[in-house]
Amino acid sequence: MLLKLKQFFDTFFLVELLKGLSVTGRHLWKQKITVLYPEEKTPMSPRFRGLHALRRYPNGEERCIACKLCEAVCPALAITIDAGPRQSDGTRRTTKYEIDLFKCIYCGFCEESCPVDSIVETRVFDYHFEKRGEHIMTKAKLLAIGDKLEPQIAADRAADAKYR
Amino acid sequence: MGTVTIEIDGVSLEAETGSMIIEIADDAGMHIPRFCYHKKLSVAANCRMCLVDVSNSPKAVPACATPVADGMKVLTNSTKARIAQKSVMEFLLINHPLDCPICDQGGECELQDVALGFGNDVSRFTEGKRVVQDKNIGPLIETDMTRCIHCTRCVRFGTEVVGMREMGATGRGEHMEIGTYIEKSIESEVSGNIIDLCPVGALTAKPSRYKARAWEMQSTAGVSPHDCLGTNIEIHHRRGEVIRVVPRENEKINEVWISDRDRFSYQSVTDSERLTQPKIKKDGQWQTCDWETALTHVCDQLNNIKQSEGVENIGALISPSATLEEMYLTQKLMRGLGSHNIDHRLRQVDFSSQFEAPMFPGMEFDIDALEDMDATLLIDADLRREQPLLALRLRKSTRHGRVMSVHSGEVENNFKVSPNVSVPASDLLAQLQGIVAALIEQHKEVSAELTELFVDIKPTPDQQTIASELRINDNACLLVGQSALEHSKSSHIRWLAKTISDLSGCAFGELTAGANTAGGYIAGALPHRLSAAEESNICGWNTQQMLQKGLSAYLLMNTEPELDSSYRDAARVSLLKSKFVVMMTPFAKGEFLDYADVLLPIAGFTETSGTFINVCGEWQSFTAAVKAKGEARPAWKVLRVLGNLLELDGFDYVSSQEINAAVKERFESTTDARVGHFQRPDSLESGGEKPRPLSMYDMDSLTRRSLCLQMSVQGQDNWRRDQIEHLVASQSLPETESPDSLINLSASSAESETASLQESSDA
Amino acid sequence: MSSEDPKRLTTMISAKAIEEIEHWRSKYPADRKRPPIIAALKVVQAENENWLSEEHMKAVADYLDVPHIAVFEVATFYTMFHLKPVGKNVISVCTNLSCMMCGSDKIVEHLQSRLGIKLGETTSDGQFSLKEVECMAACGGAPMLEASEIYHENLTPEKVDSILNDLGWEA
Repeated sequence: MLLKLKQFFDTFFLVELLKGLSVTGRHLWKQKITVLYPEEKTPMSPRFRGLHALRRYPNGEERCIACKLCEAVCPALAITIDAGPRQSDGTRRTTKYEIDLFKCIYCGFCEESCPVDSIVETRVFDYHFEKRGEHIMTKAKLLAIGDKLEPQIAADRAADAKYR
Repeated sequence: MGTVTIEIDGVSLEAETGSMIIEIADDAGMHIPRFCYHKKLSVAANCRMCLVDVSNSPKAVPACATPVADGMKVLTNSTKARIAQKSVMEFLLINHPLDCPICDQGGECELQDVALGFGNDVSRFTEGKRVVQDKNIGPLIETDMTRCIHCTRCVRFGTEVVGMREMGATGRGEHMEIGTYIEKSIESEVSGNIIDLCPVGALTAKPSRYKARAWEMQSTAGVSPHDCLGTNIEIHHRRGEVIRVVPRENEKINEVWISDRDRFSYQSVTDSERLTQPKIKKDGQWQTCDWETALTHVCDQLNNIKQSEGVENIGALISPSATLEEMYLTQKLMRGLGSHNIDHRLRQVDFSSQFEAPMFPGMEFDIDALEDMDATLLIDADLRREQPLLALRLRKSTRHGRVMSVHSGEVENNFKVSPNVSVPASDLLAQLQGIVAALIEQHKEVSAELTELFVDIKPTPDQQTIASELRINDNACLLVGQSALEHSKSSHIRWLAKTISDLSGCAFGELTAGANTAGGYIAGALPHRLSAAEESNICGWNTQQMLQKGLSAYLLMNTEPELDSSYRDAARVSLLKSKFVVMMTPFAKGEFLDYADVLLPIAGFTETSGTFINVCGEWQSFTAAVKAKGEARPAWKVLRVLGNLLELDGFDYVSSQEINAAVKERFESTTDARVGHFQRPDSLESGGEKPRPLSMYDMDSLTRRSLCLQMSVQGQDNWRRDQIEHLVASQSLPETESPDSLINLSASSAESETASLQESSDA
Repeated sequence: MSSEDPKRLTTMISAKAIEEIEHWRSKYPADRKRPPIIAALKVVQAENENWLSEEHMKAVADYLDVPHIAVFEVATFYTMFHLKPVGKNVISVCTNLSCMMCGSDKIVEHLQSRLGIKLGETTSDGQFSLKEVECMAACGGAPMLEASEIYHENLTPEKVDSILNDLGWEA
C-alpha cells in the first residue's frame, strides 16, 4: 500500500525525469573530452590485436620456422603456409606465408600458438587497401611491417611477458 | 602350441603360449606405449617404454619381451606402471631436443604422442643436451641424428628384413650413435622403409622434407605402378599436390613395406615438366591447341591413313603399367578402327608360344605363400631389381627353406642362394634342360616322348640338387623372372619351366613386367586375342613387328618405346619414319618431341582412377588422389572421346568403374582362365640371347624422371646419366619471395606511425 | 658388398698376425662370423702402432666376411681400440656416472693441466694420450682411470701425479 502511494507521488512529481536530467545537467558543465583522431589517440593495451607482422631476431634472421601451428589453429583459415628447406642452409623456412585479412577475425590465436614469437598482432588498426588482392598479406609485407614496428612490438611483448 | 588365459587391465584374454604381452594387448586393441617394438622386427627391449605391472613381479617388466604365462595379471595403468613409464619418458627426453616445431616429424611423431600421453609436463633436466652430427646417407633419407632415441628399429630392419646390414650403433653410452659405416650412402632398394619405422624425426624423407605437416595432408589409397605385385600405397597430398607416398598395410601383398621406387617415383609427376595442354606439330614446330582441335586432328589423320594406307598400317603400343581401363579402351579403339596391331608386351622378344599361353601369365600361388616355401627355384629372376618386395618375402623363406637360382648375367641377392648358377644368356636353356633331365632320371613315370627328348642330356650335380629339392619338398615353387621373358627363346624357357613344375610337382609362377601385364592380357591389349582371352580371327602385329617393320601411324599410350621396349634403336627409326604418331603422355619433355605429331596430355600416376591386376590375378581398383595438371585428362576419358569422334560403338562409359565392370563381366564368364597348354616342342632348342637388362630406375617413365631415385646408388648405374643433369636443371627449388610493396599503413601518415604508437604506450 | 679383394688383410699385416686371427676364428662355429672381430681387431691394432685406420677396419670386415658396419661398431664400442694415432701411453679416464659423482671432473682437469693436452689429444712428444671413456666396470673404486692397461682406482690428484711419474712423465 505504502509502495503504491510512493509510486503515485513519484510519477506525479516527475522524480525520475528530474533524476535523469540531473545527470545531463552535471555533464553540461563538466570539461569535454574529445580525442582529435588521428592527431590524438586513446591509450591502448599492449595486448591490442591489430595488423599482423612477422618478426626477426636482432641479427636479422627471420623468426618463423614454418611449424604451421598458426595455420592449424586459425579458426578462420586465414593463414596459408608453404614450407621447405631454405636453399642456403637447409633450415626449415616458409616459402609462402600469407594471411587473408578479409578472413582474419583478429582472435590472436596465431600469436598465442607461435613457439618463437614470430607472428604477432601489432597495435596498427587503421590501414586500408587500394587495390584488389592487397588484403593478402604476403611474407614480404608482413616482415616489412615487423621490421618497421619492431621496437613497439618488442616493448609490448616485454610489458606482457610476466603474464605469459 | 597351447593357449593360456591372461588378464590385461581386468580383461580376460586368450593367448598363445610364447607370445609376448604386447602382442596380446595389440590384438585386443589395448595400447601400450612403445618405441623399439615393431611387429615385423625382432624384440630388442631397449627403449623400456612398454614397461607394465605384472602380478608377482617386484618390478615393472617390458611388455614386448615378457612371454605370457597362465593366470598372469597385467596392469598397464597401475601406479607402478605409470611411474615406470613416466621415468622412462623422462630419460628418453634427456637427450632429445624439445624443438618439435622445426622437426619434420612433428605432428606424427610417436615420441611426441607418447610424451604427451605418458610423460611429465615439466622437464627437470637443466644440463646441456648432447648433439650428434647428421650423416649424409644418400638422396632419399634425411637424417637428424640428435633426435635419435636409439630404438634400433632401422638397424634391425637392415639386418633382419633386408639382409644388408648397412646401419649400426657405433660408440657406447653417451657417445652411442646410429649411422652407416663412415658417411656411406644407404644402398638398399627398400631403404625408405626406415623412414616409417623411425618413431622420431631422426630419419625422414628427403624429397618431401618440411613440405607439409601430417595434419594438413589428405590420404588416398593407391596401388603402386612399378611392379607386378600391386603394392598397396597411401598417397598423401595437400591442396592438390602429392606430398609423399607411404605404405598401406596389406599382409597378403606387401606387408608393411614398400620399395623406394614406390615411395619416391611420385616426384616425376610433381617435379618434372608436365604436359598441360594438347600440342600439334605443324611444320616441325610444336603448337599448343585445345582438346577439340587436337582430337579432331587425330581423328582426321587416322581416317586419312586408314583410307590411303589401309588400316593394318595403324598400331597401338601400351605401357604395361597402364590401367586395365586404359588398355581395354585402347584395344577397343584400335579394333573399332579395324586394326589388330595392339601390344603391351614391350620387352618381350619371343612371341611364338602366345597362342598356347594361359589367359595371363602370373603366379599360381599367393605372394604370402612364398615365405613358407621350403624350396624355391628362381629362373633368370633378379628380384631385387625387378620386384624388391618379393625378394624380402623370399628372404623370409630362407630361414627354414632353400632358394636356388639359375640366371644369366650378374644377380645380387640379399639372401643365401645355393646352388647359385650364373651362366651366359645363351646357356640358360641348357641349364634348364639339365634340370628337366635330372627330374626325368629321378622320376619313374615320364612319358616316353619326353624321355626321348632329353635322352642325351647329362645333368650336372647342381642340376641334380635343384631337381631333387623341388621334388622332395611339398612346399616348393619356381619363379620365372621378369627378364626371362626378354630372352629370345623365352617360349622354350616357359615350356621348360612348366615341365620342371609338372615333373617335380612344385608350384609355378611367372613374374611380369610393369604393374598390369595381367590386366593387359585380360583387357585384350594383344594382337592375337580379344579381351578375356577370346580368340581373334585376325592376328595383328606384335611389338616386335610394329617396331621393326614399321607402321604408318602409331598410337602410343603412355609409353616411350625408344626406352621402354627391347627394340630401342628400331623404335627410334620406325617412329621417326612413320607419318603420324599420337603420343598420350603426362610429360612435356622426352625423345618423343622428335617423332610425335600430336601430344595428348593425360593424367599421370596418382591422378587417374583405374585398376591393376597383379601377378596373382588380384584386381585392385583405386581412385585418383589429385586432379591432373592443367588441361590433362585421365586417359580413359581421352580414349572415350576419341572413340566417339571416330564414331565407334560402345564408347559411352561415364566412369572408369563402368569400364572395369564391362571387362570383369567378360572375364568372369570365361572358364579355365589360368591354364596354359604349352606344346611340347619337337626338338630341344639352344642358344638365344637377352638384351642388356635395364637398371632398376630405368624401367619406366616415372622412375626415369624422379630426380631423387636417379641420384640414389641404384640410379648411379643408370647408363643415361644425361637425364640427371636435365632433371636437376628443371627442378631447382623456388627462391623465397623478394619484398614487394608495403601495405598502406594507417590512413593518416604512415611515416609517423611508429612514433605515435610509442607516444600512446607512454601515456 | 665390396669390390675390393676380401683377402687384402693378408698383405697389410704379418703372416704371424694372420695366423693368430685364424686361431681365434677356429674357436667359433663357421657360420658365426662376428665373434672373432674383437680378437682380429686387437691383433691388427698391435701391428699398426696401436691404432686402427678406416682401411684396416674395412679389411678386417672383408677378411671375416662381415658387414663393414659390424666391425666399426665393435671398434667404436670398446675403449681399447683407437681410431686415430695415439701416444705410447694411453690414459683412459672414466667420466661416467659413478666416477663423475666421485669427482672425475677434477681428475680430468688435473690430467689436462699436467699433460698440457685436452681430452682426445696426444702430447707433442708422442708419449701420452688422454681419452675420455664410458664406464669400465670399476665403479667401486671411482673415480678411476686406466693407464697402459692397468686400472688405477680411488684417484686423487696426488695419486694421478704418482701414476704419471711412474709412467715417466716429466713436466
